[in-house]
Amino acid sequence: MNRVMKGAILLLLACFVMVAAGCPAPVVNEIKIGVIGPMAFVQGEHHWYGAQLAAEEINAQGGILVGDEWYQITLAQVDSNEMLSVTDAATAMEMAITVENVDFLVGGFRTEAVFAMQDVAMGYEVIFLGCGAATVELCTLVADDYETYKYWFRVTPINSSYLGMVDFLLLGMVAEEIRAELGIETPKVAILAEMAVWADSIVAAAYVYLPAMGMEIVGEWRPSPIATEVMAELSAIEAAGAHIIFTTISGPLGITYARQWGELEIPAASVGINVEAQKEGFWDATVGKGNYEMTMNTYARVNITDETIPFIDRFVESAGEFPTYNAGTYEALYILKAAIERAGTLDSDAVVAELENTDRIGTAGRIVFTDAHDVTWGPGYVTGLGVQWQDGEMKCVWPPADGSWEGVVYEGAVDYVLPPWMVEYWAP
Amino acid sequence: MGTISIYIGRLYKDFKGGILVLPSRTIAFFFCLLLLLIPLITTEPYILRVLILSSIFAIFAASWDLLSGYTGQMNFGHALFFGVAAYTSALLNLHVGLPPWLTIPLGALAAVLAGLIVGVPCLRLRGPYLALATLAFPLILTGIIFVIPGITGGELGISGIDPLSGSRLTDYYIAVILMLGLGFVMWKITASKTGLIFHAIREDEVAVRASGINTTRYKLLAFCLSGLFAGVAGGMYVHFMRIAGPSTLELMLSFQAIIWVIFGGIATIYGPIAGVFILYPFMEFLRIIPEIRMLVFATLVVLILLFMPEGLTTWVRDKIEKECPRCKLRNIATRKSCRVCRADLD
Repeated sequence: MNRVMKGAILLLLACFVMVAAGCPAPVVNEIKIGVIGPMAFVQGEHHWYGAQLAAEEINAQGGILVGDEWYQITLAQVDSNEMLSVTDAATAMEMAITVENVDFLVGGFRTEAVFAMQDVAMGYEVIFLGCGAATVELCTLVADDYETYKYWFRVTPINSSYLGMVDFLLLGMVAEEIRAELGIETPKVAILAEMAVWADSIVAAAYVYLPAMGMEIVGEWRPSPIATEVMAELSAIEAAGAHIIFTTISGPLGITYARQWGELEIPAASVGINVEAQKEGFWDATVGKGNYEMTMNTYARVNITDETIPFIDRFVESAGEFPTYNAGTYEALYILKAAIERAGTLDSDAVVAELENTDRIGTAGRIVFTDAHDVTWGPGYVTGLGVQWQDGEMKCVWPPADGSWEGVVYEGAVDYVLPPWMVEYWAP
Repeated sequence: MGTISIYIGRLYKDFKGGILVLPSRTIAFFFCLLLLLIPLITTEPYILRVLILSSIFAIFAASWDLLSGYTGQMNFGHALFFGVAAYTSALLNLHVGLPPWLTIPLGALAAVLAGLIVGVPCLRLRGPYLALATLAFPLILTGIIFVIPGITGGELGISGIDPLSGSRLTDYYIAVILMLGLGFVMWKITASKTGLIFHAIREDEVAVRASGINTTRYKLLAFCLSGLFAGVAGGMYVHFMRIAGPSTLELMLSFQAIIWVIFGGIATIYGPIAGVFILYPFMEFLRIIPEIRMLVFATLVVLILLFMPEGLTTWVRDKIEKECPRCKLRNIATRKSCRVCRADLD
């Protein structure tokens, strides 16, 4: 190639670069969705990872079809700082709506802050899909004052009443197992709940429901949520002759308790809520002593629907962590996409009407909203799960694998196993 | 026409002699003017929200200064007054149906009562013992709130409260005018004979009692006055946020008030107001770097305290003004002799 030719090619390339740089970028329609949550905490991080995963998938498929135009999703991360300041949370919500100009919002975690954020969003008539706070009252407002609060929907978790119901269903299943395997007709239950307000209502309910469920309460122990030592409580529980420890724990106590329960081989099955046991790091944190610990959860490697396991895999791949229920922002974005496409417009009222018609087979079950814009709980809808740690793996054990609860069976679910040291201790 | 010109002339003379004569007063005047004129520049709801909350917290911080800065009664649980007023206003509004212009003063009166309840048992305590005792009261009230969730809403708080007014602009003017008015009242109290006694109690309580002054009465008065102003802030907050929850009693809120006051300048009243109006919007600005927001905030506060131990406003005032060694009046730093007694300033 002679020098003239080389020069001509370089000139051509230069012209091409200049023209390309000068060309206006193609106009891309965008829908801006605010992901609001406590971003310095795991709950906010999972809000973000879930939404990010859904946005990437939806955008890769072309985006959202509004009428006959395609829109790409742009996410705005909004740190509500709600764990530390309710004021900050409401201000962040207003900033997202008026400064960032988001079209829709997903997220929220701490109930008091979500109430404040909800009011701001409703004031601006911006649709807010809740993905963290379980309080029933957030949806009661929709039923009481529909015109003001109709822009609020709860996608995850199931509300606090249903969470309580699942908690007692898990307890009932373990009691049945003890009756069948050990021949103990009236299992004795020790209540071990952290000293926190949210646990009080569950403890109070236990005193009402347990005798009716054929169980006897032998005592109530209330250690601190951050206790690093519960051997005294566990020894007292053993001395009281308990067959079941009914746990209500959200703090780091969950690790201490499970580790010492396994170390001491307390002859009582452990069931209830232990938030630490919902995380994948639980096994290592308890050095394997948390084997047979059982807790309520939202996700497990089980086919709640065909979407569940592929979602968990993709989430773990992108975030490096097992999803908590706050990752339901993933679901929220798909629900929103479908409603917008059905409405054919971004107008809030039209989208609300279509959100009310939602019937989606999602990652945690079939999502249908109630009249109060709450996620429906029950067989055939979102049910929640009971998971048990079995030899290093978090296995789904409720709904039971034999379909004994309303005929609901999730492929991959296994049978619940009583701790072997307990069986040995109480064997007839 | 001539009479009007005379009045305008007099007004200008007073303005020049009373405000423009000192840089600190000039800054304060233009700050007030700017606050009142901001809606002419922008009606952006987010900016107005930040300024409304700054105004509410400025009243709250100044009320802490009135009690702890002036009388030295170290109160580590100031959120008690804020929370009592917040819950009282919310309950009266929700269950009795009283409008905000009634619930806010009634909430403030409840906070005064709280001031009395806290003040009486704490009067015999001093220093760290008093600080710890005051710290306990909001925790006790939080416990009570959780015990009677049927009335207080427990962990969820009380929602569905009437807004302060129907519009953001009206909210803004209510908050700003109340802040300026109450700030002025607090400043006048501290500049009065009562304020002088508050000062004296902080410096040497025994000496004050030896002078025949009933210090118990004045300390109780300080608790009640502080409760009153903090209560107004609590009532306004609850009608602006439309929720009264346990967060209105959190320790964090009590500590924030102390940070604002120490940053702005303790025992000044205008210092806490400046502290809030600098730090609160600054925290909002730091949302652009959420990961290191708290770190930057803490660094700024530490730096200010390191280089300006008496607070920002006191440091600035001492740089731009000088006190006359003879008549104790303040003069602009550039003057060689006192503007009143002509004494040498250098």
